Amino acid sequence: MTQFLAQYSIQRWMEMCPQGYLEDTVYGHEPNEHEPAVILDDDDEREAAIRTTVGLVVGERCALAASSGLINAAPDYPSKRFLATQTLDEARHVEVFTQRLFDLGVTADNLESTIDRYANPNLVKFAEVLLEKVAAGDFLAGVVGQNIVLEGLAFSVFEMLEAGNREFNPKFAHTLSGTIADERRHVGFGENRIGSLIAQHPEKKAEIERMQQEMTYYMLAVFADSFRGDDNKPKSAPEPTASAEWHGTNLSTASPEEMEAVLANTVLGEFKTRLARVGIEYQTPRVPA
Amino acid sequence: MSVVDEFDPHALAEQDFLDEVHSFQFWFDSVEGYLSDRPYGRLETTVDEPIDDARRERLITTLCNYSVGETAALEGAAGLVQLAPDRNSKIFMATQVADEARHLEVFLHRLRELGVADPEAEIERRAQPALVDFKGALLDLVAEGDWQAAVFAQNVVLETMEYTVFRLHAANADPVTRDVLAGVISDERRHAGFGENDLGRSLAADPSGRARLREIRTGLDAMVVGVFEAALADIGAPAGERSQLAHEYLDTIERLGLT
Repeated sequence: MTQFLAQYSIQRWMEMCPQGYLEDTVYGHEPNEHEPAVILDDDDEREAAIRTTVGLVVGERCALAASSGLINAAPDYPSKRFLATQTLDEARHVEVFTQRLFDLGVTADNLESTIDRYANPNLVKFAEVLLEKVAAGDFLAGVVGQNIVLEGLAFSVFEMLEAGNREFNPKFAHTLSGTIADERRHVGFGENRIGSLIAQHPEKKAEIERMQQEMTYYMLAVFADSFRGDDNKPKSAPEPTASAEWHGTNLSTASPEEMEAVLANTVLGEFKTRLARVGIEYQTPRVPA
Repeated sequence: MSVVDEFDPHALAEQDFLDEVHSFQFWFDSVEGYLSDRPYGRLETTVDEPIDDARRERLITTLCNYSVGETAALEGAAGLVQLAPDRNSKIFMATQVADEARHLEVFLHRLRELGVADPEAEIERRAQPALVDFKGALLDLVAEGDWQAAVFAQNVVLETMEYTVFRLHAANADPVTRDVLAGVISDERRHAGFGENDLGRSLAADPSGRARLREIRTGLDAMVVGVFEAALADIGAPAGERSQLAHEYLDTIERLGLT
């Protein structure tokens, strides 16, 4: 355990992040990059971008609360130190996505009301399931919920958004690239640290599987809310973009139904693989209405 | 880009100042200056000097107790992320969590360099009771959800103690320990600044909080004195310097009107 945890030290984090892929960035992107005029000048596009970004802020606020809350429950110093780096990563994500809301025209005075207005209630419930475990000081369930389920979800959503924005909005795509690199590290810690703890505490498996099932239910409900309904249909026919290909789907031309399907299938596939690695059996949730 | 070098944040309006100095971006630009190319807080060009057995023993005890203090600050700051009343304070506390974890890591690393095979066990063996009590008192305030009192105990009392002791120690330390302490001291200054600023504003808005914090301070005083005495004896501070350090600590308390 000690050798693998050495890869998650503050020193390693310093070399990888501030002195690595975040060097010379401002709020996660290059200093001269801006939101494209096609978003800023069109009320519908701007509102859609705000709605998407609010979802990211809500998810990252949950991750910040969970990672900081788990530090005091961690059973060893190396895990505490890793979670400290994750706390800072999540705070940075909150900051860069909040900054994007400001860049999209949300004012500081209206920030919380904007978040309340656009936050998906199923995403809020998803967060509450996790934060209940954290508040109870349940390190094992907390790390599975945070570093495998929540981070696994974030990882795939960010990857999809990054692929879809690479040509259309390089500023947002660059912001997402840095967060994806962070999420990859967080998922790696979850998989590596939890496997041995699950083996030591097999009695916790059933409870953790129930938590995963509940979180997955709310996640699929968020996807359904996000891709169905007239608000989510494209306002104009998009131009096909080769670089927007993600898991066999061209995101620049895919219908909302196709996007929901590719995202859900990708996330669920990743969940199954990652949970199996730590000795947890994926539980299929009932289908959201 | 270096925010620190290019402009003075104190020239900003109050809310803009808070947005700036409590941000991840500001932290990022700040630490870049003094932590780049210093693995485990140590310049690669700094050469370790031989330390005799008695001095090495004292240094190990000192570093074990610094680790207790940093663990208290790490766990305290992690709890304070949850309690923070606004976005800026939450993000600042998250940067402090990473700072405290780094301090713990560099002290553990230095202990290993000094030949301590199991630093965690050694810390438990050498921890000063007064410091362990202080840690318990701080974490109780955090568990009670008392933001103001916990910020006072952590970012004013604990950080001022650490800042004071580390500075004195750095002046007389071996070259490698001095390098390590230099980076830690820069962080502690930022943390203490946050504490004074946050409490200063909340006490100006509601002066009745002073009486409550005075009471908390009275409860912590015996532990603080115990921690100071043991720490200054371990680092071999002369008696004259000890009273000067006590004054520095009391000055901070006085600035907040808590004497």
